[in-house]
Amino acid sequence: MKKFNLFLILLIVAIFSVTILNSFRVFNLKPDLFIICLCFASLYFEYRWALALSVFSGLLKDIFSFNTFGINTLIFCILSFLILKLIRQISIEDNWMRMSLVFIVAFTNNILSGLILAFSGSVVPFGVFLRIIVFSSLYTTLVSFLFFKFIPLKQ
Amino acid sequence: MFRLNKNQLIPLVSVIVLILALAFFVPLFTNPALSTLRQPLGLVTLIQREIGGIIFFHRNLVQNEILRREIDFLRFKLNAANEMNNENMRLRNLLSFKQQAAYKVIAARVIGRSLDNWSSSIIIEKGRSHGVNKGMSVINYLGLVGKVIETTENTSKVMLINDPSLGVSAIISRSRQEGLVSGTLGTFLIMKYLPEDPDVKIQDTVISSGMNQVYPKGILIGTVVEIGKEFSGLSRWCLVKPAVDPSNIEEVLVIVQ
Repeated sequence: MKKFNLFLILLIVAIFSVTILNSFRVFNLKPDLFIICLCFASLYFEYRWALALSVFSGLLKDIFSFNTFGINTLIFCILSFLILKLIRQISIEDNWMRMSLVFIVAFTNNILSGLILAFSGSVVPFGVFLRIIVFSSLYTTLVSFLFFKFIPLKQ
Repeated sequence: MFRLNKNQLIPLVSVIVLILALAFFVPLFTNPALSTLRQPLGLVTLIQREIGGIIFFHRNLVQNEILRREIDFLRFKLNAANEMNNENMRLRNLLSFKQQAAYKVIAARVIGRSLDNWSSSIIIEKGRSHGVNKGMSVINYLGLVGKVIETTENTSKVMLINDPSLGVSAIISRSRQEGLVSGTLGTFLIMKYLPEDPDVKIQDTVISSGMNQVYPKGILIGTVVEIGKEFSGLSRWCLVKPAVDPSNIEEVLVIVQ
């Protein structure tokens, strides 16, 4: 597959996320497919492509959000950089390790997004805050299992 | 782990600067991207709706029968309400009350929803070319839906009432007690800044007060389901069940005048 097609796939993921994915909400939460794409890009591709794909993922997320500043572009870029550094240090051969990685990344991203929202002056009840952080990360991780199950990891 | 030499440092700094610049200029990409994606988003939403119609055919059939019965009942009530309205108009004219103009609205279909779980928004298929502008309030037949916060030529982003960033000046319909309603990202809304002894009861109706001019007066927001005290003890809050279910909105009306 040509690597440029991956950008097209990300675009389809964005369209899917804002439309059909709403039918798969659990506890009013949906999985973050861009986090899965970010982890995939970091696991599958070399440094430059992984970074480019993560920046594009963040950009798409920002386009469909209300941010006046591309916070997701920045967060995704940092997360991708950290994943690329991390996977050099640890083995990620089995699916459980990859799913753990997705959970950590989703959890970190949710905490960052939640804290940004809280510091911007919006009041989110603690229960809702925890629910989004924990359940959304778990849901994203469970969905990532399908991807890891059917797409073998090849460098 | 992060040790870099001079040759690696320059490209890294360039990439960081590039990404920061990109992050700052994201709002510039939003309008053209959303305008371009309007057609595919509309198409996917249409397909999703059609497939949903086929899958839930029986449920829709039963629902249709119930709704038909409800329509008959509502027609009967509407006739009675029309009579009341005419009488109200006559009395208002007699008292020389200033008439509240009817809203001019634009109907729009929802073509997308927020991507993340930290905000609550929808994308509608009408934009600046249809007369929709930033700041306009959005309703449906049940009550207040939200506010337009971004517009492109053919699409608009609407922040829903359950988004924590949205604040609506509201009153309790029965007692005219004022407060500020904002979202919690959950099932309920919260009405804040009520005095220590507010005249609020469970099942009271909450409507927009019309104080901040964005939302016209009298639009239904929801009903009170719980009343509580803030930590400081100086003010009270109440939980409001929204009249509109934010997760199930398919069509909205934008108030343009």
